[in-house]
Amino acid sequence: MRQLKHRPTKQVQVRMKPFLKFTFKLTLALVILTGAAFFMSKSIDIKGISTEQLSASKPFFGADEYAYEAPKADTAESAISSKVNWAILGFTILMVLVLANAFDISKYTAKITGRETVNQNNVNKWTMLIFMVVGLIATIWEYSAHGKLILLNDSASAHGVDYDSMFTMTLIVTSIVFFATQFLLFWFSFKYAHKDGQKALYLAHNNRLEVFWTIIPAIVLTLLVLRGHQTWRSVVYAEENHNGKIHNIEIFAYQFGWKARYAGDDGIMGIADYKFISGKNELGLAFKPEVDSLIVELKAQIEGEKIVINDIKSGAALAALKSSFAEVENLRDYKNMESIQKEIESLNNGEKLDEAEASIKRKTKQIERILAIQNNSKQFASTFNGAANDDVITQEIHIAIDTLVTFNFRSKDIIHSAWLPHMRAQMNVVPGMPTKFTFRPTKTSVEAKKEFGETFEYYLYCNKICGVSHYNMKIKVVVESQAEVDAWLATQQPAFIKKPIVVPAIMNNSDTMMQADKTKKLAIN
Amino acid sequence: MSTSIIKDTHATDSHAHHEHHEPSFLFKYVFSTDHKMISKQFLITGIIMGCFGMGMSLLFRLQLAWPDQAFPILETLLGKWGKDGKIDPNFYMALVTIHGTIMVFYVLTAGLSGTFSNLLIPLQVGARDMASPFMNMLSYWFFFLSSCVLMSSFFAETGPASSGWTVYPPLSALSKAMPGSGLGTTLWLVAIILFIVSALLGGINYITTVLNMRTKGMTMNRLPLTIWAFLLTAILGLLSFPVLLGAGLLLIFDRSFGTSFYLSDIHLNGVGALTNSGGSPVLYQHLFWFLGHPEVYIILMPALGISSEVISTNARKPIFGYTAMVISLIGISFLSFIVWGHHMFITGMNPFLGTMFMYVTLIIAVPSAVKTFNYLATLWRGNIRFTPAMMFAIGLVSFFITGGLTGIYLGNAALDIQMHDSYFVVAHFHLVMGSAAIFGMFAGIYHWFPKMFGKMMNKTLGNLHFWLTFISAYLVFFPMHFMGLAGVPRRYYQFSLIPEFEIWMNVNIFITISAFLGGIAQLLFLYNFFNSIFRGEKATQNPWLSNTLEWSTQVKHIHGNWDGDIPAVYRGPHEYSRPDRELDYFPQHEIGDGEPEHYHAPSTQVDTVFEGKKEKASAVFFSSFAALFMKKA
Repeated sequence: MRQLKHRPTKQVQVRMKPFLKFTFKLTLALVILTGAAFFMSKSIDIKGISTEQLSASKPFFGADEYAYEAPKADTAESAISSKVNWAILGFTILMVLVLANAFDISKYTAKITGRETVNQNNVNKWTMLIFMVVGLIATIWEYSAHGKLILLNDSASAHGVDYDSMFTMTLIVTSIVFFATQFLLFWFSFKYAHKDGQKALYLAHNNRLEVFWTIIPAIVLTLLVLRGHQTWRSVVYAEENHNGKIHNIEIFAYQFGWKARYAGDDGIMGIADYKFISGKNELGLAFKPEVDSLIVELKAQIEGEKIVINDIKSGAALAALKSSFAEVENLRDYKNMESIQKEIESLNNGEKLDEAEASIKRKTKQIERILAIQNNSKQFASTFNGAANDDVITQEIHIAIDTLVTFNFRSKDIIHSAWLPHMRAQMNVVPGMPTKFTFRPTKTSVEAKKEFGETFEYYLYCNKICGVSHYNMKIKVVVESQAEVDAWLATQQPAFIKKPIVVPAIMNNSDTMMQADKTKKLAIN
Repeated sequence: MSTSIIKDTHATDSHAHHEHHEPSFLFKYVFSTDHKMISKQFLITGIIMGCFGMGMSLLFRLQLAWPDQAFPILETLLGKWGKDGKIDPNFYMALVTIHGTIMVFYVLTAGLSGTFSNLLIPLQVGARDMASPFMNMLSYWFFFLSSCVLMSSFFAETGPASSGWTVYPPLSALSKAMPGSGLGTTLWLVAIILFIVSALLGGINYITTVLNMRTKGMTMNRLPLTIWAFLLTAILGLLSFPVLLGAGLLLIFDRSFGTSFYLSDIHLNGVGALTNSGGSPVLYQHLFWFLGHPEVYIILMPALGISSEVISTNARKPIFGYTAMVISLIGISFLSFIVWGHHMFITGMNPFLGTMFMYVTLIIAVPSAVKTFNYLATLWRGNIRFTPAMMFAIGLVSFFITGGLTGIYLGNAALDIQMHDSYFVVAHFHLVMGSAAIFGMFAGIYHWFPKMFGKMMNKTLGNLHFWLTFISAYLVFFPMHFMGLAGVPRRYYQFSLIPEFEIWMNVNIFITISAFLGGIAQLLFLYNFFNSIFRGEKATQNPWLSNTLEWSTQVKHIHGNWDGDIPAVYRGPHEYSRPDRELDYFPQHEIGDGEPEHYHAPSTQVDTVFEGKKEKASAVFFSSFAALFMKKA
């Protein structure tokens, strides 16, 4: 038994050296603490030092448009709060050091008296028990307090009900396991803590027990998996399993916002392509006049870039920048000086030239590709079939209650994710790969307002990191009756022409965008 | 084993040998090939990186709790990124990204597995050093270089990588999509590639050492569970890291050489339609998660191995179901390769694949459950000593339960539709792989500190550190489950613009305060750690009365570990409290009554101490290599 003690007990003998050392350390720490507090109370206003240099920095590309405007803090107020912040930081660090030293007390008393004063094993044993009791009570409190705020049993879509019941089932199973195992863990820790003279039970394994707790989780998980399998299939194959009418809406994602597109009067969603996107044609619809003017615009831009390249090569660009630099230098306009300096740099290291050349290459390719569509009669016919002409682009999504709605997602630039938490619906929006989500809304916005409060609205959020304004990329979703949706749609202007140009021969042969998407998706998968 | 081929030159003239070639400071502490020194290097670098990672999390927690409050100190600390005392949204993204990268790769992969694989594999299997000590040194220095490259991205004008630690293209591929996707992402990719080189060099070494260099009598079923965990971790790393390397290289091609592996049909603001066509962003996700999921187990398994060892030692009981534990580890390792798709249920992947990935994902819960129950059974009727290491190991089991159970929700494709990328996910992985793994790391540090530094850590501070960290971790992550279930998305810069999330404002503040409490607790640890290295109480040879081989070495480190023959092994590592013995432990190398004494053959190891000349040549080779990469970065 002798070996069980970690530290051989020394004879009780008061030794002064560690005691003095400890007193010295504590005094030193207190002196530093007081000194620091004094210094902080007199600390300089740090705001004044750095503002000038910092404000000179240039906004990043694209940042101008979405730049976040911080409210300007009052100078006097911020000076005080800066001191306070410094003080807090300094104090925290120093307090920890003092605390750390203070807790060495046990070490020193142990040294002085030659034995451990506190039986830490017992302290920890009881703390384990207290933690268990408090922790489990706190968990139950959390379940009731924050559990009320979660989205459960208030689904606004048909499949959401299934989802909620499945969630509840999983919650019950996992909660039982959670409480049971956590209880056992801490209870065993408390119950079987070291006692003098106690020896642990030598038990290396018990096959029957191990088989038991392999099979039980396996059975429970099988049940959960089967349920999950059912629900998953009913959600993802909702469109395939449905025979009636499905309302197709295109949801278009871009940095940083959403747009919805409805088929318009002809009921056919026109072709849209990222190559057709221009200032006036934000979604890139296949509308011939707009695409033609895009080609003209691109050609003009190419000419512009050529001029830029000539200027760079002849040195005119550099000379112009240098003269304007001299101008602002005289005015001591540091902000502009820095930005011009950067431009000169990008000119000198060839960045600007590369950029212009790449831009020409890009635009030439774009024209080439558009022309390839236009020159191929079959492709031309199916693309510019006029179906896109009356498509309606909206800033809100209106969907009808109790109808099957399919959101067809298209991304302009990068991956976004469309999340409708109240509908239990989410799908990523991937550039170059059409995705979709089909669901049946079951609760109108008006009903939801009654439940969640007057200001409540359904929103579709972006839930995949997509850049600086990711946190504010949302679109309002309105659920109402079919008649209300129709009435609202009637008030919306089609993107280009109010009346569709009917070209019956082409119309009959044409693929709708949806079908084209479907084949493409199959190919990808 | 390969005993017959390898001759020992060490044992015969070890003393004379050492005094003759006492390495200079540079080769002893910097370009050391000694596995114990390398493990210390990994640990301290890991701790430093951990401080950065933790600091970043506190910064963005500050933003989430008080989005409209200005903290002028931020402007002083961060310059243009903290203008007017508020964190810039771009920088917020960067913080989130680099926090994730540092924690996942630099702290919990290199800092955890790197430290303890290096320290324990040779010591616990009974080897004089790693199979290839030089490669081992390279492994550390690639890791060091990688850390430097990653941190240097904070000095890039456009900021560090900020498209999330998964750096999904196209966001990460297009420098015009967000500032962080410029130079920052290039540096991130270079850092990760260096890191992969480091992980592979280390991993090959660990596997070789475990398989070939075990001492006499150390059969596979007598290996401590730590070694099993490290071995399987290394195999996982070896098989999955190259895929990330591939993914990273293709991303570099897309970024710099105009290829279109991941890009298609993109029209970017301010740039126009890109020429890229035919690629698929989802391809990157497949490649990334093919590493990414095993990576979770690369992080977690060493922690589980450490906790098995620590719990068994301090409960003074054999680990319950050694074979089941090993089979569970093997099962988890195998399954981890075929479940990556559960990160991608809603990427538009074929729904049929979703069902398959759901099946295999939920199967993982079975070996995990077995492990948990075995831990509980080990504690049952034990004689528990609450050393700080033991408490951290118990904390690990607690987190493993809590976080593991939420995995049952997320692995279920149908439930994942709603929970994907919500705060529920954040809570889940921070508990099950973040907190659990870091607790495994702490358990390891407290347990093997006497072996590493020959000193004891302060126990009281250790206890305090444990309780503060344990409580704060639960306070931080537990409420996040409910936020996620209420529909709060992750990686949002602020929630004050969306009225629906306002009810969570108080919870956000509560979480931030708890996080700061946790941060302060880590200061206690730092103080304890560094103070104990220099001024700690001297350790005895076997302070925890443990069975495993590492405690049969002397306290002072020597090159070659054992001064004399390597001890032979007579039994498994967990023979605690055997009824036939008076003592409650039975070291693996001790010959029991009536047990046949092994023939003490000249021990099995190559002498791995390098000659002075060789060391210098290798250093020159290495530094030229380093210079090459520095230029690229």
